[in-house]
Amino acid sequence: MKISDILQDEFVSTKLQGKTKEEVLNSVIDLLKGSKKIKDLDKVREAIFEREKIMSTGVGKGFAIPHGKTDAVSDIVAAFAVTSEPVDFQSLDGEPVRLLFLLVGRDNMVGPHIKLLSRISRLMNKDEFRKKLLTAKSSSEIVQFFKDEEISYFDI
Amino acid sequence: MHSIPAIPIEYLLLVGSILVLLSIIIAKVSDSLGLPMLLLFIAIGMLAGSEGIGGIYFDNARAAQSIGIVALIFILFAGGFDTKWSSVRPVVWQAVGLSTLGVFLTALSVGIFTSYLFGFSPLEGFLLGSVVSSTDAAAVFAVLRSRNISLKGNIRSLLELESGSNDPMAVFLTIGAIQLITANRTSPLGIVTQFILQMGIGVMFGLMTGHVMVLALNRLKIWFEGIYPVMVLAFVAFTYGAATLTGGSGFLAVYVAGLVAGNSEFVQKKSLLRFFDGFAWLSQIGMFLTLGLLVFPSQVMAVMGIGLLVSVFLMFVARPLGVFLTLSFSRNGWRDKAFVSWVGLRGAVPIVLAIFPLIAGLPGARMLFNLVFFIVLTSALLQGWSVPIVARLLKVDAPLEPKQRHPIEFAPTEGINADLVDFIVPYDSTVVGRSIVELGLPQDTLVVLIGRDDEYIVPSGGTILREGDTLLVLASAESLPEVRATLQNVKPHHMT
Repeated sequence: MKISDILQDEFVSTKLQGKTKEEVLNSVIDLLKGSKKIKDLDKVREAIFEREKIMSTGVGKGFAIPHGKTDAVSDIVAAFAVTSEPVDFQSLDGEPVRLLFLLVGRDNMVGPHIKLLSRISRLMNKDEFRKKLLTAKSSSEIVQFFKDEEISYFDI
Repeated sequence: MHSIPAIPIEYLLLVGSILVLLSIIIAKVSDSLGLPMLLLFIAIGMLAGSEGIGGIYFDNARAAQSIGIVALIFILFAGGFDTKWSSVRPVVWQAVGLSTLGVFLTALSVGIFTSYLFGFSPLEGFLLGSVVSSTDAAAVFAVLRSRNISLKGNIRSLLELESGSNDPMAVFLTIGAIQLITANRTSPLGIVTQFILQMGIGVMFGLMTGHVMVLALNRLKIWFEGIYPVMVLAFVAFTYGAATLTGGSGFLAVYVAGLVAGNSEFVQKKSLLRFFDGFAWLSQIGMFLTLGLLVFPSQVMAVMGIGLLVSVFLMFVARPLGVFLTLSFSRNGWRDKAFVSWVGLRGAVPIVLAIFPLIAGLPGARMLFNLVFFIVLTSALLQGWSVPIVARLLKVDAPLEPKQRHPIEFAPTEGINADLVDFIVPYDSTVVGRSIVELGLPQDTLVVLIGRDDEYIVPSGGTILREGDTLLVLASAESLPEVRATLQNVKPHHMT
């Protein structure tokens, strides 16, 4: 499964609002409001915050990958956002977060979930790619960046 | 009597395998048509038989009976093995009532009906009633589990437990009736004591071998995984043989042994469950094919008239009578009882039991066999096919839960105080470049899987972690903070 397959323009924001971790998490979850794959957004929210409690998903270098699994979605759903201002995410390296990738998987579908998580965290580890995303002006541009990056990186 | 002709083994294997493969392929079709699979297996057997296109002549009742008994043993064991005691415990007395009194009432009313209407002697009528008195575990399990049906409350547990446990009663009644007809040496009082003895010894053996088996599986450290199913197979056969030879009900014994084993914890349980599921399927297919081969369709058609009447009486009078009377004290409403009555699916057991009088050489046994065959066909066809509709009509169905199979599953179980949690290795963590053993994770945690790029890695202690790896960790709630602390260790010089 490719990131560009599950990430659509309408679920991408280039100026996500919020000053605290909680606020940006809520904003990025709200991006998914229109998705037909979601049966209950509150349950999704619960799963994301629950996972965040175990350990912050701010993996460093200004990037966080909030994720969770729930039976309130019919399929894997993704959202991406660049925050309008840097937000403290209790990241491990202490660096405030500007890039957020939200991944919601179906309960029990551990396999694809793990694969996507590792793929995303691998892509986002590249300095140039992160810089590119930060300068993006529109949602479609971001989706295009992911598409290009996946092709060049994973050779698909 | 025909002796077994010397057929070369390669011929037997070729024909047998073709029939089984054909059954499986056609079963796939039957699923979309909503037909009970057992009907198709029987139909294939009939088609392969001497009156069908296959032209295989088979009338060896003794061989068919042996195949039938062996198959039933494993179907019953697998059924018990796969039954959760916690879900059937609330209905256990109702099920026991249905499997004893209910079965008896069904047999009795069919007996009275046939002797009154068709001039059967009372004992012959009772024999027919006994043969068709039990519901079929294989058919009920198949209809309730594989078809798109979900039931409210405890009806499903009740039906499964009943169908798994009522065959011994039917066997007992059938053999009792045959004894009364042939020897006339058993007094009614003798029958009652015999009944208590048979069931008592059966349950006792089942409990005993079930527990011993679990103990043996856990204690004997067998080096080869492949041995485990062999061992359980042997235990099952032993249970039946030993219980029957000591005067108990072997069928009841294997079912109880299955229940005991299925509700205990032991090594290799998952793979054994899968093995016995497969083995039960093979038993079912083999048994129905054999029974289909054994019957001569033209003879069955000859008894269609009486067959239809008995069948209708069984479905609409005898079975409901047994169910409603037995459950008159239960709290279930009439809708539940009506539904339970309708899932009185007859299957292989009556056909196998109908072979008994044949072998005992009773007069009219052929006719009885054909009659039973016809009754089973109509029950499987009409009731089996209409169960989902009737469930909806009686409003006892519940919404369907979507079922999916997943590459990696984990459900917290009793005795395992742990859960699967995913962690992403932070880009600047000190664990990057170190091996898993070096991390010093708590004793009771286990890194099960690593997602890296597009691959899964099943880690060993020496696996070196990279930044951005996704770790699937099996950890108890208590050790989670420690895992987090380990991964969160950030290289100080990398701080920006």
